[in-house]
Amino acid sequence: MGAAILLFLGVGVGLHLLLSPLRDLELPAAVKAMTLVLGLALSVMGLIGGYLVARMPKERVQNIAEYIENMVRHGTVGLVLSENQADALGRLGHAVNHYMTFVKDEIEQSSLTAKERQIQIKVLEAEHRHIESVIHAISDGVIVTGAFGDLLLANEAAERIFGFRFETAIRKPIEEVITDKSFLGLLQDMRETGLFVPHRTLEWVQGSGDQARIWRVVLNTVVEGKKRERISGAVAVLHDVTKEKEIAKMKSDFVSNVSHELKTPLASIKAYTEMLLDGEIKEPTQVRECFQTIASETDRMNRLIQNILNLSRLESGLVPVNKTDLAVTEILRDVGDVITPQAAQKNLSMETDLAPVFFRVNGDRDMLYQAILNVLSNAVKYTPNGGKIRVSTYLSDGSVVVEVADTGYGVPQEELQKIFEKFYRSRHSGKTAPGTGLGLALVKHVIEVIHGGKVTVESEVGKGSVFRLSLPAVR
Amino acid sequence: MVRRILVADDEAPIANAVAMKLRNAGFEVAVALDGQEAYERATAERPDFIVTDLQMPGMSGLELSARLTAELAPGIPTILLTAKGFELEPKDLEGLPIRCVMTKPFSPRELLAAVQDVLGEAVAL
Repeated sequence: MGAAILLFLGVGVGLHLLLSPLRDLELPAAVKAMTLVLGLALSVMGLIGGYLVARMPKERVQNIAEYIENMVRHGTVGLVLSENQADALGRLGHAVNHYMTFVKDEIEQSSLTAKERQIQIKVLEAEHRHIESVIHAISDGVIVTGAFGDLLLANEAAERIFGFRFETAIRKPIEEVITDKSFLGLLQDMRETGLFVPHRTLEWVQGSGDQARIWRVVLNTVVEGKKRERISGAVAVLHDVTKEKEIAKMKSDFVSNVSHELKTPLASIKAYTEMLLDGEIKEPTQVRECFQTIASETDRMNRLIQNILNLSRLESGLVPVNKTDLAVTEILRDVGDVITPQAAQKNLSMETDLAPVFFRVNGDRDMLYQAILNVLSNAVKYTPNGGKIRVSTYLSDGSVVVEVADTGYGVPQEELQKIFEKFYRSRHSGKTAPGTGLGLALVKHVIEVIHGGKVTVESEVGKGSVFRLSLPAVR
Repeated sequence: MVRRILVADDEAPIANAVAMKLRNAGFEVAVALDGQEAYERATAERPDFIVTDLQMPGMSGLELSARLTAELAPGIPTILLTAKGFELEPKDLEGLPIRCVMTKPFSPRELLAAVQDVLGEAVAL
């Protein structure tokens, strides 16, 4: 701007000088007019020229400045306006272009490196998460403590076992996280003697009584140092063996029970045999009775062994199951044929209410026959002379129910579940019922485990019992 | 003097066999087929000796002996018969007048001998 004014002024002054001596001369008007026009043209050109000249570097500079600011605003890196001129500004533009290119390369390089790092981090994070989820998926409890007994890692199973949240417990002293003293004692032992016994397996009982859970705990010390002389922590893995122990105990109880049940008839056999051999028994009728007892006790033992084997094989899945769609009513008729004479011997009246519609279930004929036979046999066995037994079938909630009701001795409330246990024989008037005590155990296994049904019993001592076997109906 | 023995066992054949053996040997024998019956007869008749099964419905042989000892101190000498011998521990028998534990199957001969031993001791005393 300033340059333009100066130029304008300069040209103007020049013109004035040019024009003033001319005024004094006697020149023709045309010449005077021409010089005036020339003068004006000069001043205008000078004006424009000055303006342009003044404007050019400034505009260029401004353009360049604006362009750079734009790039900053949009965060891009690029070339400035192409500068072809060889002047100072042109060279500056050139240099700036060069620098921009350099900067752009550097930025791209950093960007690439940053992206690579990002990817690496993501991969590591994914691996870390994967390992964590693997540890959390382990159904055994895993607890890792540091050198000073601080909690470093615990998986979901461990959280459930001890009732804490790892995210709030991390790095806390283990005594603050786990309150069970006996378990803490195990960890303490580990810290004290871990260098000598770095690996140990023990059983830990959590809780007591019915609620107790038994854990097999495998403890390992984490050691560091060239000579492995420093304990840097401990790892505990807890495996739930409660069920295993229960099963082991049940097996042991079973063997014990079987042995007891077999020794009883054996004792009779031995006693009478010995006395007969010793000539203790004088009277012939008595002798005959003794032999009779020996014979029946022998049969009893045999039945017992058979039943135990049957039930055992059934429970082990060794007996092939042949299921077909069959009518429950047919089985009831077959069982009825066997039971009716037995009931008649005790003067028991048998009532049947088998619905005319043939309800069908999908089941193994022989097994269902045995189950229903056992229930009916019990009804006969446990009902005193002159009593009543009623058998009925009906449909209820998509299941076929076989109901056996008797007017027998009944079962006390506290024994209602026990009667399904192996070898359990209900007592009435102080006498043990004849039989093996396995009948209902078989019924329960066949109906519930093999056929997916349900066995229920209602009973009142002195009044009688009602057994219901329900099986899913088949359309 | 005729010695009276109470035999208790929920298995009738065994109770009868023992009773027969002891009767043949000159004892007077009463038979009970469960713990409660045995307890009632023992308190009523005060036998000199008891031969009882361990596992009986209602009251076990041990319980029987314990209750009788409490009520009829010093208690009645007893022989325990059981199919589960290995489950009994010495402390279970503490303070009870159980002179002998025999496992089933048992020999009636040995049982008689044991009874005679114990009663023989008592006589000697």
